[in-house]
Amino acid sequence: MALPQTIPLLGWSWDDLIFVVLAGVMLGGALMVVIGRNIIRSGLYMILSFAALAGFYVLLGAPIVAAAQVLIYIGAISVLILFAIMLTQSKAGPSNLVFHHQAWAAGVAAVGLAVLLLIVILFTDWPAEVADGVAAGTAAIARLLFSDYVLAFEIVSVLLLAAVIGGVFLAKREEALDPGERQVDEPTLARQPPPDRPRGVAASEGP
Amino acid sequence: MSQNELLALLPLILVVGLAMAVVIIDIVLPDRDDLISAIASGGLIVTLIVIAVCGPLPGGVGLLPREGVQLFVDSSGSGVIVRDQLTAFLDLTFVVIALLSLLFAVDYLKPRGLPMAEFTATLLFAISGAMVLGSGRDLLILFLGLELLVLPGYMLAGYAKRDGLSTEGAIKYFLLGSFSSAIFLFGLALVLGFTGSTRVAAIADVLAGVAAGNAPLSLGLAMGLALLTTGVAFKIAAVPFHYWTPDAYQGSPTPVTGYLSVGPKIAAFALILRLFVDALAPLKADWLPFVIVLAATTMTLGNLVAVTQDNIKRMLAYSSIAHTGYMLVGLAAYAGAAAGSPAEAQGLEALLFYGAIYSFMNLGAFACVAALQRRPGVTSQIASFAGLGRRAPLLGVAMTLFMLSLTGIPPTAGFFAKALVIIAAVNTGGWVAFLAVLMMLNAAAAAFYYLRVVVYMYMREAPDGARPVSIGNFTRAGLIVSAALTVVIGVVPPVTTAVIDMAREAARALL
Repeated sequence: MALPQTIPLLGWSWDDLIFVVLAGVMLGGALMVVIGRNIIRSGLYMILSFAALAGFYVLLGAPIVAAAQVLIYIGAISVLILFAIMLTQSKAGPSNLVFHHQAWAAGVAAVGLAVLLLIVILFTDWPAEVADGVAAGTAAIARLLFSDYVLAFEIVSVLLLAAVIGGVFLAKREEALDPGERQVDEPTLARQPPPDRPRGVAASEGP
Repeated sequence: MSQNELLALLPLILVVGLAMAVVIIDIVLPDRDDLISAIASGGLIVTLIVIAVCGPLPGGVGLLPREGVQLFVDSSGSGVIVRDQLTAFLDLTFVVIALLSLLFAVDYLKPRGLPMAEFTATLLFAISGAMVLGSGRDLLILFLGLELLVLPGYMLAGYAKRDGLSTEGAIKYFLLGSFSSAIFLFGLALVLGFTGSTRVAAIADVLAGVAAGNAPLSLGLAMGLALLTTGVAFKIAAVPFHYWTPDAYQGSPTPVTGYLSVGPKIAAFALILRLFVDALAPLKADWLPFVIVLAATTMTLGNLVAVTQDNIKRMLAYSSIAHTGYMLVGLAAYAGAAAGSPAEAQGLEALLFYGAIYSFMNLGAFACVAALQRRPGVTSQIASFAGLGRRAPLLGVAMTLFMLSLTGIPPTAGFFAKALVIIAAVNTGGWVAFLAVLMMLNAAAAAFYYLRVVVYMYMREAPDGARPVSIGNFTRAGLIVSAALTVVIGVVPPVTTAVIDMAREAARALL
């Protein structure tokens, strides 16, 4: 049995219906990430939101981007974040973060930005034709990646190497002698807290 | 790949290769800090020679043709990457910055038990990112170059990982930096969506059509422009996007602060040249008002707050914000001038010359702070400088020189840098001439806090029990180089004109 061209009663095409469902799942998931208090649950909702986004890419005819989204964002990044949370989560963490006091300001800013972007997207006469550089198929992307963009490809690998070295250094456990910017001797030059310094991690620490 | 194309990529390949070599040497021969520093500084000097040999530099110096070489050119005539006179000028600046930062770091890191190899490799990776920014003619390359520049920078800011201040500064830098990168990327996406190409030349063609139509800017393009401006303003630390600067600069280990105050700033200006001047030039009448406002607020607020600082790193952080404002005046002088007029090239020339001179003198000033802090526990409060003129004469003279140059007092190089920017702004006229007046007032106000350091060094007694200051060999070499550059470019006319010529030819490459 063939499906009708449009959805009965609503008059939408099937694409539109899938779009609306995916958008609802993605926005709902994103909202749950932010408002939930359980950080593990937030991580799981984030995966849901990413999966809906992968659906968008399929809908737009970019299967390789969708596959990358699933592999990288869901498979690697989200799972890594969940592991990091489970390994580092401390029960004695601060219950009242500074972000919680700024919820109203953040809400106003977010709504304002959303309205602005909505106006921009609705009232702009976007060029309709597909640009030259857009390649959706695997073969086309592979060809671009190893011809015009081979340099970009190599720069990404250098970037990853730099990030790995930096990450390993920062995570490595060792005893350093460094007293940093703190005063050790010459007591006549007592360290004064700078006047315009916001209260941060270091403000609560003694000299 | 032709010989010219290979030569065009050679400096970049050398720097990345050097970074990898440092990592490998550290694995094979661990904890040989002096060996690492020697190899890295030797490698960077070789890179400087290679850049000069490859060129293209004014007077036909260099193997590459004057008009430059582009790689992976498409139908629009825009390559992915280019080596022209601008690239060569910027590469020379970046490599000198890397070399000086490295020399100043050796004697600071060692007494604190911080390893040299990771520092060197990370610094070199960051500089390779800056070099990519100086040569990119494709939005994708420009964004990747930006990330390669800033990501190692976050790690360097937190290099003293046992120090709470360093970690705090690094986290603030990281969060605001990644946020601004995302904003910048969003802007790139909107520009790409509107123009349909990632190539700089193709974008400029489409936008020239938009500008010729005299229609008001469409909302999507205006939003893209706004996001791009915000993104780069974060990176150059222009007011009001400067909030990360003082904390990141104060918390970082002092040689890293020196690097952060010049490397990422000049590289972000390279991004501005490649993006705003190369790609978005047809819309310059639309972005000029924002540059004027940014320049005026940045230099004024930077100077006013710097006056109140008692910590010298924080003071130099705010003063670096003020210098961002001065460089933006050069950009405004370009954007305010009629297309094709001599004032247009003059603005860019002033911006480039200022950037190069500012790098040497500001790094030198931070090197003096780092030299003083060689013994762990000495703070960067201005009181640490009391009586330094007698305790360490070389350091006192060098610091005085850098302070005079930062103020812009003749005959130092800093004077010519400020003079060029002001002349360019006056020649452009209009509101930009008002910026020139504001800049002169600001330079006068800045003299107060720069000369205050000199007063502390020569007119205050050292506190009782102050220990002697010993300067390491690497730091001494670096100080001599940066002081010599500051003096020679200021005093010896042939050198001054040679550097100005390089900046002029580099600016012409863009127009």
